Amino acid sequence: MKKLYVVIVAVLAHLMFISSASAQPTNSNQLSDPRVRQALCMAIDMKTIGETLFEDQIIMADSLLPNGPMKSPNLPDYSYNPEKARQLLAEANWDSNRELDMVFYYGDQLTADFMAAIQAYFADVGVKMSYRLLQGDVGAQLNSVPDDGVNGPAAVDYDLGYGARAAIAMQEYYNTFKTGLNPQTPGDPKMDALIEKINSSADPEVLKPAFFEIQEYQMEKVNICPLYYQKLFIYESNKVDRNGGAYGNAQYNYNWGITDWNVSGGTLQTNTGPVEFFEQPWYNLGLWIHNKVVFDRLLVADGALQPVGCSACESYDLAADGLSLTFKLKEGLTFHDGDDVTVEDVAWSIRTAMKAPQMHALIGNTVGSIKGADAFKDGSTDDVSGIKYNIADRVITLELTKIDPNILTTFTQFAILPKHLLGDVDPLKFQQSDFWQMPIGSGAFKITEVKMNDFAKFEPFDGYHGGKAGFDIIAYPSYDGDGNLIKNAAAGKMDYGFTKNVADVAALDAMDNMGTKAVDIPYTRMMWIMQYPKP
Amino acid sequence: MTTYIIQRLFIFFPMLLVISFLVYSGLELSPGDAVSHMISPELASTITAEQLDAMREAYGLNQSFLTRYWIWLTSMVQGDMGYSMAGGVAISEIMVKTVPATLELSMVALFFSTILGCSLGVISALKRGSGTDNSLTVAGMAGVSIPEFFFGLVAILLFAIELKWLPVGGRLLPHYETLWDRIPNIVLPSLVLALMMTAGAMRYARSSMLDVLAREFITTARSKGMPEWRVNILHGFRVALTPVVVLIGFRLPLLIGGSTIIEQVYQWPGIGSMFIRSVRASDYPLVMTISLMYVFVVLTASLIIDVLTALIDPRVRLGKE
Repeated sequence: MKKLYVVIVAVLAHLMFISSASAQPTNSNQLSDPRVRQALCMAIDMKTIGETLFEDQIIMADSLLPNGPMKSPNLPDYSYNPEKARQLLAEANWDSNRELDMVFYYGDQLTADFMAAIQAYFADVGVKMSYRLLQGDVGAQLNSVPDDGVNGPAAVDYDLGYGARAAIAMQEYYNTFKTGLNPQTPGDPKMDALIEKINSSADPEVLKPAFFEIQEYQMEKVNICPLYYQKLFIYESNKVDRNGGAYGNAQYNYNWGITDWNVSGGTLQTNTGPVEFFEQPWYNLGLWIHNKVVFDRLLVADGALQPVGCSACESYDLAADGLSLTFKLKEGLTFHDGDDVTVEDVAWSIRTAMKAPQMHALIGNTVGSIKGADAFKDGSTDDVSGIKYNIADRVITLELTKIDPNILTTFTQFAILPKHLLGDVDPLKFQQSDFWQMPIGSGAFKITEVKMNDFAKFEPFDGYHGGKAGFDIIAYPSYDGDGNLIKNAAAGKMDYGFTKNVADVAALDAMDNMGTKAVDIPYTRMMWIMQYPKP
Repeated sequence: MTTYIIQRLFIFFPMLLVISFLVYSGLELSPGDAVSHMISPELASTITAEQLDAMREAYGLNQSFLTRYWIWLTSMVQGDMGYSMAGGVAISEIMVKTVPATLELSMVALFFSTILGCSLGVISALKRGSGTDNSLTVAGMAGVSIPEFFFGLVAILLFAIELKWLPVGGRLLPHYETLWDRIPNIVLPSLVLALMMTAGAMRYARSSMLDVLAREFITTARSKGMPEWRVNILHGFRVALTPVVVLIGFRLPLLIGGSTIIEQVYQWPGIGSMFIRSVRASDYPLVMTISLMYVFVVLTASLIIDVLTALIDPRVRLGKE
C-alpha cells in the first residue's frame, strides 16, 4: 500500500510538472512560453537519433547535469512524445508560420546530419526550423548578453542554439544562468538563490540537495533542452599495457599511472603535439599531451576528477570554513632545467593566472576568489594580499574572500610554471612567449626535441617524484581534432589518444592493432532556447 | 628585352601593393579575428567583454583597418614580417621552417613530372594512334581529372597501410639525421604530386610534338636521310620543347603554392598547410606574408617565362611592336 502511495505521489508530481505547461509566455517571444519549450524537447526522438546517427555511443540526457551522485531522481520526463508536443503547441497557440533559426558551431558532417534530423522532427509537430553554422566571432554571436538581464531585449539573433557544456565542476553547469550572465534565459531571483546554494560549500554531501533542487527547477522551466551526454573514447594500440593504471576523463589530468605503463618498443606514439607552439596549460587543461606529462600539479585527481591526494605537495589543509587553503611542497622538487620548484613559483603562477586571458573557468573562479585578486587584476596593487608563502618552509597559504567549492579540484589541474623563465612575460601575451617553443615543467617527462609541425619528443624525467617511466613519447601535431588519426593508427603510428568522434571509434575498433575504451564524462550536449524578446 | 624587363619591374611593385591591400581587405571582411579564434565558444561565455577588449588592444586589433594595414605595410617594407598572432613566433622563423619543406617536396615532384611528362608525351606522339598512345592519353586524362587527394589516399592505403613499404606521412622523426633517412617519407607525396603534374606535361608535350612533326622542316630533315631518332629528338623535340618550357615556367609558383592538398594528406609540414591554419585562425600577419610570397612568386615566374620564351624562340621579340 505504501509503495502504491509513493507511485501515486510520483505520478502526481510528474503531472504537476506537465501542468506547469499551462503557464503563459512572459514576453512577446513565444519561446518564453514553457509549453513551447517543452514541446520542442518532446518533438525530438533522441533515442532513435542515438541508435542511428550516433551509432549507439551516446547517453540520453534528462538534465543539464550528467548522471552521477548529484543527479536528482525527480526530473520531469521530456522524452519523445510527438502527440504531447503537438498538444502543447496548440495550447500555446504556436504560430506555425514562424521559422525558428537554429545555430551551431561544430563544422563536422555528423552535426549537420543531426541538425537535419531535428529539423525533420520539428516539422513533424508543425514547427519550421532552419539551421546555420556560426562562423567568425562565434563567442560574441552566441554569448552576448542583454543589457537588461531580466527583460531583454535579446543581444543575440538566433532562436535555438546547439552546443555543449563540458564542465569539470558541477557548478559550472549552472553558474552562467545567474541574472545578467546568460544570453538566452532571463534572470530569475529563484535561480540566482539556487546558484548561490550550489556554491555555498566545498562538501559534496552538503551540496547534493541544492543540486537536486536546481536541476528540478531548471527542468521544470525548461531553460534548455538536454539532448545527450557525450562519451569519451580512449584508444590504445596493442603495444600499450597500462599495468593497472586507471582510465578516466582524458580531457583533464588524473592519476593514470603513466610512469608504470609498459610500452613495447620503448616509444609511445600519440597526437596532440604542437603545430606552431605548445599551448599554455591553464586553458585546455589536459587536451594536449604536454599538458599531461610535462607539468606537475599540487594535487592529484582520480579518473572521475575527484581530488584524491598530493602530487607536488607533501600535505595540504583546507580550513573548516573553506576560506583558506595551505600547501606544503615536497622537498627537493626541481624543474627539468634543474632549478628548484618553490612556493614562489606556485605564488607567481597563481598571480599570473589572475591576469592571463586564456584561462579555464575552473581556474579563473579559484584565482578570482583569492583575497586581493580584484585589486591586483585592475592594477591598483602589485601583489595579492591573499597569497602568503615562506620559501624556506615550502609553505603557501591562500586566503579566499568567498568559498570556492572546487578549489581542490582546481589544484589537481593547475600546472606549476617556472617563474625564473616566465617572470618577465606580459600576462596578456602569455602565450606569445618564446618559452612555449620548448616549455620546461616539473612533470614526469621532459621535452628533449621539437620539430614544430613534425614531432615533439619527450623523455622520462629522472627528478620526477612519482617515479621514472620506461619509455619515450613522440607526439605528432594535430589541430582542431586529428584528421589523420585513422590512417596513422592503421599504419601503426598511433599508440594512445582520445576522441569523441563516434565514426573514429568504429574505424579504430575494426583494426587488429587498436582498441577503444568508452569513458563517461561530464559533457552535456543541449539545445539552448532564446527566451528574451527580440529587439 | 632590357627595356621590357625594366617596364615589367616598374609595374611589379605597384601590383604587389594593390594585391596586398586586396588580401588585407578580404581578411578584414571575413568574420571574426585572431582573438575570437583564440577563445572557444564555451570559454567565451565565461570571459568578460573587458577582457576581450584588453586582448584585442594587446594585439593591436582595436585599431582601424587602415592603421593596421599601414603598420603592417611599413614593417614589411623594412623587412620585418612581424609575428604570428597565435603563438608569437617570428614569421621569418616560420617561413624558414616551412618553405624548405615545401620546396623539397615540390622540386622533387617537378623534376620527376618534367622528365616523365616530356618522355611519355614524345613517345605518345611518335606512336600516334597506337595502343601505347591511347593508353597514355587515357592515363593523362585520368591524371588531370582525378583529384590529387584521392590519388594521395589510395597511395597511402596501398603502400603505407596494406603493403607497409612506406610511411603514412610526416617529414621528420627523431632518429632522422641525414637526407637519406628522409627519403622514404618524401617518396609517396612527391610521386603523387608528380603524377598529377606529369599528366599535364605529357599532354602538352604530345600535342606540341605532333604539331612539330607535321612541319616542313621535319620532312626536309628526313629527306636529307637523317636517322629518325635525330630528326625526332634534335629537330622535333627541341622545337616542341618551347610550349613545354612555358608550361613548366607556369608551374614554378606551384613550387610554393601547389602542394597544399598533398601537404594536408601527407602531414607534410610545409607552407601550404601553415597557410590553411593561419587563414582559419585569422592570423593576419602570417596570412599576409604567405599571400605576398605567393604573389611575388607568380609575378616573378611570369616575368621569367616571358624572358625564357624569347630566348628559346628567336621569333619572339619582347617590348617591340
